[in-house]
Amino acid sequence: MLEIEELHAGYGGTPVLKGVSLRVGQGEFVAVVGPNGAGKTTLFKAISGTVATRSGRIRFQGTDLAAVPASRRAHLGIAHVPEGRQLFPSLTVMENLEMGASTEAGRRDWARNLDRVLAWFPILAERRSQLAGTLSGGQQQMVAVARGLASSPHLLMLDEPSMGLAPAVAEFIFERLAEIHREAGLTILLVEQRVAEALESADRGYVLEAGRIALEGTHAELRRDDRVRQAYLGM
Amino acid sequence: MLQLEGFLQALNAGLLLGAHYGLMCVGLSLIFGVMRVINFAHGDFMMVGMYAAFHIFTLLGLGALLGEGAGPYVAALLAAPVLFVLGYLAQRFLVSRVTGTRVGNLEGEGHYAQLILTLGLSLILQSGGQILFGSVPVSVPSELSSEAWELEFAGGALVVFVNQARAWGAVVAVAIVTLLVLLITRSRTGKSLRAAADNVQAALYMGIDVDRAHRLTFGLGVAITAVAGGLLASSYPFTPYVGLEFVIIMYAGVVLGGLGSTVGAFWGGLLIGVIQQCSALLLPTQLQNTAIFAVFLLVVFLRPQGLLGRVSERT
Repeated sequence: MLEIEELHAGYGGTPVLKGVSLRVGQGEFVAVVGPNGAGKTTLFKAISGTVATRSGRIRFQGTDLAAVPASRRAHLGIAHVPEGRQLFPSLTVMENLEMGASTEAGRRDWARNLDRVLAWFPILAERRSQLAGTLSGGQQQMVAVARGLASSPHLLMLDEPSMGLAPAVAEFIFERLAEIHREAGLTILLVEQRVAEALESADRGYVLEAGRIALEGTHAELRRDDRVRQAYLGM
Repeated sequence: MLQLEGFLQALNAGLLLGAHYGLMCVGLSLIFGVMRVINFAHGDFMMVGMYAAFHIFTLLGLGALLGEGAGPYVAALLAAPVLFVLGYLAQRFLVSRVTGTRVGNLEGEGHYAQLILTLGLSLILQSGGQILFGSVPVSVPSELSSEAWELEFAGGALVVFVNQARAWGAVVAVAIVTLLVLLITRSRTGKSLRAAADNVQAALYMGIDVDRAHRLTFGLGVAITAVAGGLLASSYPFTPYVGLEFVIIMYAGVVLGGLGSTVGAFWGGLLIGVIQQCSALLLPTQLQNTAIFAVFLLVVFLRPQGLLGRVSERT
């Protein structure tokens, strides 16, 4: 579904990604883990088109994204739930979800998608008329995920969904993601610093270090790997 | 009794003129709110709108066609699409280079470049206006501008004159502001504009064409202010430099109402009109605008977020 080959990208004169290759298959749940500053967010921004690609190729469902402007990529079926949630704070919860449904597919499936996200995150139904900027961090993250789902995506990309959340709330979010993956068969690409939780939910994983893929493998392989155990799992 | 009459007269004149100011301010505020651009050329776009109304009125013979009562209003409304296109194109080819999705790598998020660009636009519009339209003051002929309704209070002891041209202008202004508020709060396009105002990057992730949203906003903001200018054009003789007189009033109104708040900008403009007219009771006319700035400074000191502005964190 998503194939990235030898991707180089960065800001201004600073290279961040130095040749990243990864692939996500239809229906997979793939995690990218790694330390702060490894380039995880830049990788997502390159996929979404808000960071320019220097060289290398990103293909999504057979389409080379180089020719697709950022504002059209959501319409291809890519939903990006950005780091730090980035809601529209002066819009209500409902309006935020409506904005998520800006894609053709999102508008067509609006009623079904709304029912589904309100079932996964019931608190949002109670808060539907509240301004998104006034919600708690956990609730904001739920809106961010729900807003992504409202576009009827083929690929859901989540950047650090647990950031700044209490452990119990983060766990709730991870459980929901696993449930969404299972029930809707949705392809998920997750970037996380909480390596243990991320690897637990995912089928496969990549370890990104200093702009390069240091390791890749299935969920079980990575959890057995000594380097991963020492560096990230504290074992 | 005479003083009360004078006050009511000034209040009425202030409210009617203030509604026109309010409409101007709404146009400017829309652009600032959505795009975070300080448009120094806004007054000059309004000037172009006034000339557009004037020439539409004369060229289409609206005076003969609709009479000098309704004609000037139709001309003012017809100036809107003309100025929308002008604003849309200005955004498409000039302002977009220093705003929106491209400013990330510009110094000061493009604010310096925006300042220089819109100041340049302002000068070009003024000078271009002088070449095209000349510097002899003109106004749209209107029979209503010299007609007034007489309102009698207290059994005829108090008489207030309501200028008909200004009164109908105020009605049109309020109607346009109401429509605009409905558009941005209810319609999907309006919500996308607000979303793009809140967070450009997230709007892109939603598949919202932010550049298009900005072109619409600039066109709409310019068109709205142009209508306000067109409405005044029948009771206010103008030259290509008229923008300078109004741009200050517009900025004061927008800041008074709270930067970025559309409804607030209208109330801000309305208040400026009232202050300006009422201060004429106490101060010589040359000092009219002094009172505006006295109140403006007070608001900035005591309530920097504006009268209706909210203190909000932008994420």
